[in-house]
Amino acid sequence: MTAESVTTTAPAERYAIGIAFGNSNSSIAVTSTDDKAEVIANEDGDRQIPSILSYVDGEEYNGQQAKQQLIRNSGNTVAHFRDFLGQDFKSIDPTHCHASAHPHENNSTVAFTIQDKEGDEKSTVTISEVATRQFRRLKQSASDFSGKQVNSAVITIPTNFSENQKSALIKSAGDAGIEVLQLIHEPIAALLAYDARQESKVSDKNVVVADLGGTRSDVAVIASRGGMYTILATAHDYEFAGAHLDKVLQDHFSKEFIKWNSIDPRENARSLAKLKLESEATKKALSIGNNASFSVESLAEGIDFSSTINRLRYETIARKVFDGFNRLVEGVVKKAGLDVLDIDEVIMSGGTSHTPKIAANFQSIFPESTAVLAPSTTPTAINPSELQARGAALQASLIQEYELEDIEQSTHPAVTTVKHLTNAIGVLSISGEEKKGIFTPIVTAETAVPARRTVHVPVPKEGGDVLIKIVEGGSHIKVTKPELKPKENGNKDDSDDSEEDSDYEPEEQREKIWRVGNVLAEAAVKGTKKGGKVEVMINVAGDLGVTVTAREVGEKGGVRGNLSAP
Amino acid sequence: MASHIQVPLPLPVVPDGWAADKDFKATGRLSAATQRGIEPVGPHFLAHARRARHKRTFSEDDR
Ligand SMILES: Nc1ncnc2c1ncn2[C@@H]1O[C@H](COP(=O)(O)OP(=O)(O)OP(=O)(O)O)[C@@H](O)[C@H]1O
Ligand SMILES: [Mg+2]
Repeated sequence: MTAESVTTTAPAERYAIGIAFGNSNSSIAVTSTDDKAEVIANEDGDRQIPSILSYVDGEEYNGQQAKQQLIRNSGNTVAHFRDFLGQDFKSIDPTHCHASAHPHENNSTVAFTIQDKEGDEKSTVTISEVATRQFRRLKQSASDFSGKQVNSAVITIPTNFSENQKSALIKSAGDAGIEVLQLIHEPIAALLAYDARQESKVSDKNVVVADLGGTRSDVAVIASRGGMYTILATAHDYEFAGAHLDKVLQDHFSKEFIKWNSIDPRENARSLAKLKLESEATKKALSIGNNASFSVESLAEGIDFSSTINRLRYETIARKVFDGFNRLVEGVVKKAGLDVLDIDEVIMSGGTSHTPKIAANFQSIFPESTAVLAPSTTPTAINPSELQARGAALQASLIQEYELEDIEQSTHPAVTTVKHLTNAIGVLSISGEEKKGIFTPIVTAETAVPARRTVHVPVPKEGGDVLIKIVEGGSHIKVTKPELKPKENGNKDDSDDSEEDSDYEPEEQREKIWRVGNVLAEAAVKGTKKGGKVEVMINVAGDLGVTVTAREVGEKGGVRGNLSAP
Repeated sequence: MASHIQVPLPLPVVPDGWAADKDFKATGRLSAATQRGIEPVGPHFLAHARRARHKRTFSEDDR
């Protein structure tokens, strides 16, 4: 172990990759010469590599091969362990390990007792070592793919990982010969993967990243300002995730099986394992097709079983879980002090985000102007299962040339903790009177300072001397209740929607309104030409001092003034 | 940022009798801000960290 263990590598000797390491799956990504990130396949051809290790006669299996071992060799198969890293046994939730090796307490840490060598003897393998073995496999796959020895990585972590979990993760990776250049938050990696696309424009936007995985769902609200990211709120849920959708299908098909055979396949461990695996496969098929089959040889007591289900039926029986995702997303937007109208983009990340109905539900929560980025709603969406690894690889390529010390200095709270604006700073159009003028934000609330933004504003038709009035603005939501109209019953063609029709209510109109606050400055740009435009630039310093400059576009001169820091 | 936001509505004209030294009047200061952590990720953060560490402004950075 010590032989391959690293402390630090010189930047020139580094070959860094991006790693997403989940409780359900891991994935690895590299950047190509043109700075595009690509998720790579392991030796089995899988880009989603189940985070599972299994041992048969001393031989180690990983990924999909290990997953298959859950049927016959569950006691020597270790699964769903990522979240145990760096935790006390008392704090872990072992729920998802019922049908695989059970975690137990071992000298204040978590361990598994498995037969991982030839012969009958069992060994106690700590969680740290399990994770190291997983990292070794990922490192090997990435090295085989690229023909270069991988020795460093950027790894994604949930936003609620503790300091202990972080250091345990760094140690486990280090023991596998992977120097961790940086740990980055999963939703930020997903956002970076989108922002790094050539067609993406740098902008100011509020983004929700919904990461719906196998055993947990994590949602974050992020203020994205000129390519800088600030997390405004997060929420985590362990009751509604991919495994719960598998369970819905398991129960559905079990009931069908019982009806024909009077045997409950959930009562036998091996039958249950088969049910689980096939339910997951059926669920994935339903993300693409309108129908999916479910078929297991010798499901219980030697009886084969096969059936089908259509998407609509699935969406009906899974509704409780889907509703859980909706509540999670709505809750975190509120927690951030925002309204759904404030959200510009919803990035759907994690395997479960492939599900069309979930994306459709999110579309109905948010206004039409909000882009929901999922495979079923946006043709150009990035594969939600690949976002985190891609983001990690992009970050790795950005920082791999720096000394570790420089990276640590830059990520230090002294550099990352900065002032964020509470209100937007904007300019008034039409009228200089606060009550009548129309506010347009130039720098939006929650922008980290220092910041600099520029807008172009037209002058009145005839040109002349124009007033640039710079004010603070706060947004609020104006709700207008429409008058009740008699219910329309004409539309009968879509019987699927009958449930939604029955609780139809006239929709209230909700809109975002700006309220002008503090008046900051007035400036005049004189003698502007007919059809001209004025460029207004706001520069906010780290101490909240403001510099305003305004000049006619294409002309020299203009005005410039300062506001001192509050 | 490269492309500038285009505001659709025109600026008002200067009211009669408006006057200011060098055509600029400071009338207020920004409201208090919130301290928050920015995520140390992405190319724009790197540029920010570089400016912060070398105590450089945007325009110095542009040059
Ligand atoms: N095409 C698909 N349609 C629906 N669900 C899918 C699809 N592909 C993967 N999934 C589900 O996504 C989940 C795994 O998601 P992901 O790989 O993001 O998990 P993870 O982050 O490793 O897991 P965890 O949440 O347990 O930490 C599984 O429940 C899997 O069945
Ligand atoms: Mg995940």
